[in-house]
Amino acid sequence: MATSPTEQKLRETASCGCAAKLPPGELADALKGLDLPTDKNLLVGLDRPDDAGVYRITDDIAMIQTVDFFTQVVEDPYRFGMIAAANALSDIYAMGGVPRTALNIVAFPLGVMDLAVLRRILEGGIEKMKEAGVVLMGGHSIQDKELKYGLAVTGFIHPSRVLTKKSLCEGDRLILTKPIGTGIITTAMKADMVPEDISESAVNAMTRLNKAAAEAASEFTVHACTDITGFGLLGHLAEMVEGSGLGARIDTSKVPVFPGAVDFARMGLMPAAVHKNRDFRGWMVSFAPSAGRFLPYVCFDPQTSGGLLVSVAQEDADSLLTKIRQYGDNAAAIIGEVVRGPDEKIIVE
Amino acid sequence: MKEIDARGLSCPAPVLLTKAAIEEEREGRLTIIVDNKASKENVVLFLESKNFGFSVTEKNGGFYITGEGSPGVDPAPELASSYDPSEETGKIIIMAATDRIGHGDDELGRKLMINFIKTLKEMGPSLWRLVFINGGVKLTVTGSEVLPDLQALEASRIKILVCGTCLTHFDLLDEKKVGETTNMLDIVTALQLADKVINI
Repeated sequence: MATSPTEQKLRETASCGCAAKLPPGELADALKGLDLPTDKNLLVGLDRPDDAGVYRITDDIAMIQTVDFFTQVVEDPYRFGMIAAANALSDIYAMGGVPRTALNIVAFPLGVMDLAVLRRILEGGIEKMKEAGVVLMGGHSIQDKELKYGLAVTGFIHPSRVLTKKSLCEGDRLILTKPIGTGIITTAMKADMVPEDISESAVNAMTRLNKAAAEAASEFTVHACTDITGFGLLGHLAEMVEGSGLGARIDTSKVPVFPGAVDFARMGLMPAAVHKNRDFRGWMVSFAPSAGRFLPYVCFDPQTSGGLLVSVAQEDADSLLTKIRQYGDNAAAIIGEVVRGPDEKIIVE
Repeated sequence: MKEIDARGLSCPAPVLLTKAAIEEEREGRLTIIVDNKASKENVVLFLESKNFGFSVTEKNGGFYITGEGSPGVDPAPELASSYDPSEETGKIIIMAATDRIGHGDDELGRKLMINFIKTLKEMGPSLWRLVFINGGVKLTVTGSEVLPDLQALEASRIKILVCGTCLTHFDLLDEKKVGETTNMLDIVTALQLADKVINI
């Protein structure tokens, strides 16, 4: 049987970079029952996994550490570098901290790809580190079949100001600072099906630091915070409510979504992780008919360098939202609330 | 019939291979073989979006998806500039062939139908059309207890189709107070376009 040129091209470029995270179920299995060293200064560790680890150095200073890297999400190497760096830095912001130092992590197909590509990636990463006020101290590189880039980042925070995922309070409002749908849009970009204005808005959002949103949040008493990445909006919200004794309600008409994302989901142009995320957390979520058939996929879409999801008291929610928008995250919205029950259940309507 | 072996490929490749076969090679019948559930769901969604019928069988650890429809390229999809939930919800049609629900007691059946119609608004934007045929047309005429409810549904842009042959049969053509008098072709077309049909 003859193979068309299109078919040949697709078979050669069949990788799903943005959603390369290990599926949540598999990861939990691998970590289960590990004999972990303990330390009284470890404030946030693997026993209650969060966006980053936190270690107390003195009574006034705690260190936050995180690492994140992935395969190429966009063709332009400079912007890939920006996105990977913004994504890695985001975990520090999600903990309420300020990033200070970073190390590069590079896997590079030497001999297959021109070294100038790597140079551009590193330049993109450095631009974002400068914007974040982070100093690059070094890094580590290996040869690999597939290009990968990311950062290990260290940040600092006052031990009493650490923002974990699970400290939600009943009645809190949930603020999402960036639109969702980047996994679906970047998947459809591989099919050359995304109009330029849509791909531009998604790529711009991915290159944007969560710095300004985190600064806005630091001016309020925020109860809990996480950043939306590989498990999708509902996967990360599920982590927040799991074990909290509380539930959440999400109003889909308020959730900011990139234009086109729902249409591409309807055509099956989605990363596999959408389905894996939904299989893993679907039982915690009830979708009302008003959520429609295709938006639920977008709500489980793995995000690359997604926004922050902030849980804040109702009386502060409007002022915080106004501030977040003033600081430049124009699409930010109050998308729902934390409710007493049912426990560990997310109602999406 | 074209066969696409997409085993070992990750998304979006299986969907894109299917798309290329339908749009570039104009295949109207094809089988796509994938080796994971996520790819299966994506390919099935794509076939649905092309209005292809499909069937899936699972054997030897693979999913064999057979699709059939009219090949060709659709005009580029119109991408909404902002998200509107009513555009994305599944289209539900309710076809009522009676003015009462179920068997047992006709009086009870009539009350249940009244309650059913009054509760329909809870379906929200998913409710797309109501079709009344045979005895169902009696709900749309003068004296029907649910007339105001049906008129409210119609006002909220839900299309109500009422079978003209049936109205004529019961001699109620002039009594009809809500919906559009329609023919079997319109009804059949509507049923074909719906994502879900609920028969009463």
